[in-house]
Amino acid sequence: MAEIKQEPMSQKKLEYIRRERTKEMRLQLISFAMMIFLTFIAFGLVALDFDEAFVTPVVLGLAFLQVILQFFYFMHMKDKGHEFIKLMMLVGMFFAISFCVTFVYIVWIGAPI
Amino acid sequence: MAEMEYNVPSERWPSHPETATHEGKNKFYGFWIFLAGETTLFASLFATYLALKDSVPGDDHLLAADLFALELAFVMTMFLLTSSLTSVFAVHHMRNNNFSKMQLWLGITVLLGLGFLSLEIYEFIEYTHLGHTFRSSAFGSAFYFLLGTHGAHVVFGLIWITMLIIRNAKRGLSVYTAAKVHTAALYWHFIDVVWVFIFTIVYLLGVV
Repeated sequence: MAEIKQEPMSQKKLEYIRRERTKEMRLQLISFAMMIFLTFIAFGLVALDFDEAFVTPVVLGLAFLQVILQFFYFMHMKDKGHEFIKLMMLVGMFFAISFCVTFVYIVWIGAPI
Repeated sequence: MAEMEYNVPSERWPSHPETATHEGKNKFYGFWIFLAGETTLFASLFATYLALKDSVPGDDHLLAADLFALELAFVMTMFLLTSSLTSVFAVHHMRNNNFSKMQLWLGITVLLGLGFLSLEIYEFIEYTHLGHTFRSSAFGSAFYFLLGTHGAHVVFGLIWITMLIIRNAKRGLSVYTAAKVHTAALYWHFIDVVWVFIFTIVYLLGVV
C-alpha cells in the first residue's frame, strides 16, 4: 500500500503553494511562446531561401534551444531532485550527437578512417 | 475499497503527488532512464537517415527537396507543440488535485495528437503515390523507418493516455494514479522533443 509522509497543510502554506503554481504556469506559458517563436524563425529562415551555410547551423541551434526549453520547463528538469536525470539525458545526448557526427563524417565529409 | 485508500484529501495533497510514494519515485527515475535509452534509439535512426539521405537508385526518384512541403510540416509541428502544452496543463491540474480539469486537458492532448497523426498518415499516402515508398530507395527506407518509429510512439502515447482517461474516470485522482499520469505526460513531451529534431533535420534541412 502506498504510504505518504504528508502532514496536513495550513491554509497559509496552501495559498503559498497555489501562488507558486501560478508563477510556474506563467513560466510554462512563456516557454511555450518562445518555442512557437523559435519554430517560426526556423521555418522562416528556410522559407526565405537564405544561404545554406548560414541556415544549417542556425536552424540546428534553434532546435537545441527548443529542446532545452522542453526538457527544463515542460519536463520540469529545472526543479530540484533532477540531478541524476540530467546526467542520464546528457549521456543519451552525448551518444546521440556522436552517432550523427560519425555517420555524417564517414558518408559525406571525410574518407573512411 | 482498496483503491480508496490511496485517495488523499486536498489539504494533505502533496505538492509533488507523482513522487510522493516509493512506487511513484521508482517510476519517475525508471522512466527517465528509459527516455535516455530512447534518445539513443532515435539517434541511430537519425544517423542512418543522415547517411542515406537522397540515396536513390535513379534520376526518376524524387529527392528530399522535391518531396517535402514546409506548410504541412509547420502545421504538424503546431499540433504536437500545442499538445505538449496541454499535457503541461494536465499535470498542473493534477498537482492542484483538480481531477476533472486534468481529464479535460488530457482529452484535448489526445485530440491534438490525433490531428497530428492523421496529417502524418495523409503525408505518407501522398508520398507513396509519388513513388517514394519504404522499398523504393535507401532514402525511402531510412525516411519511413525514422518517421514511422516516431509515428508508432505517437500511436502508443495516444492509446496510453486514452486508457488512463478511461481507467481513471471512476477511481479518480490519488498519489497512485498521479504517478501514472505524470509518466504518460513525460512520454508525450519526449515525443515532441523527437519531433523537434525531425522537423529540423528531415524537413527544414531537407529543403534548404
